[in-house]
Amino acid sequence: MTIYRHSEYDYDVSRGKGDRYSYFMEEPLKSCSCGHSCSGKCSNESSKSPSHKSTESDFTSDNNAFVLQEGTELSFMDQESAELIWVKESCNITVSSTDTQIGVSLQAALQLAIALVLNISIADGTQRDAVSQELTQHFNMAQRNKQKIFIYNTKDAVVTTRDTDLALNLQLMLQVLVALVLLVEIL
Amino acid sequence: MSESSKQPPLNEKLVEVMVQTILRKNGVKPDEVKNNIPEEQKKMIREMVEDLKKQVADFQQNQAKDKSD
Repeated sequence: MTIYRHSEYDYDVSRGKGDRYSYFMEEPLKSCSCGHSCSGKCSNESSKSPSHKSTESDFTSDNNAFVLQEGTELSFMDQESAELIWVKESCNITVSSTDTQIGVSLQAALQLAIALVLNISIADGTQRDAVSQELTQHFNMAQRNKQKIFIYNTKDAVVTTRDTDLALNLQLMLQVLVALVLLVEIL
Repeated sequence: MSESSKQPPLNEKLVEVMVQTILRKNGVKPDEVKNNIPEEQKKMIREMVEDLKKQVADFQQNQAKDKSD
């Protein structure tokens, strides 16, 4: 878990000329049942809740899940983008991150298109399911994109972050679609 | 644009072989499939694929442009 801390300085927001400021504030200190002031998770409470821990270990030691397999294999793409931008003792900082929404909807469109072509070209249901399962499992990929940016004692900086992983995935899916379409000689 | 984005991530032939292998393994014969699809549906799919190709190209171009800004 990441804890964001704020600096002790007062920022003069009125000087910002309409620029976007990003500040991360620390979670307010909570007074919890242990009687102490703890930030986020109570450090004195963990010993009090052993029941929670035991449920967790029960869950992970249950190996039945390895024997079972779902009948369908979905094209599952796990993408995680973690961005931590830490601005401290600075002013006039502009931060912009890429919007990958268009890419995600494009990805869904490509998936649909592949499913559609398979649907039209293979009449037999079980055969089609087997093919689509094998095709889509090649898309399964996990991506981690972690960026940490620390800006300290800076004025008038522009920070732009970008995530290009998605674009490569899209190209792979497009290639599969085109290969499929070429094979059944539609193109 | 970074070096890795200049070339396609996967060889087109490689993907073609992969798809072909999967189809053959599951007993799908492209020759038979060809005759199953009506002409109008072929036309529809053609248009759809062209459209998607364009969209992906646009998306990537946008990203390249953003990056060089």
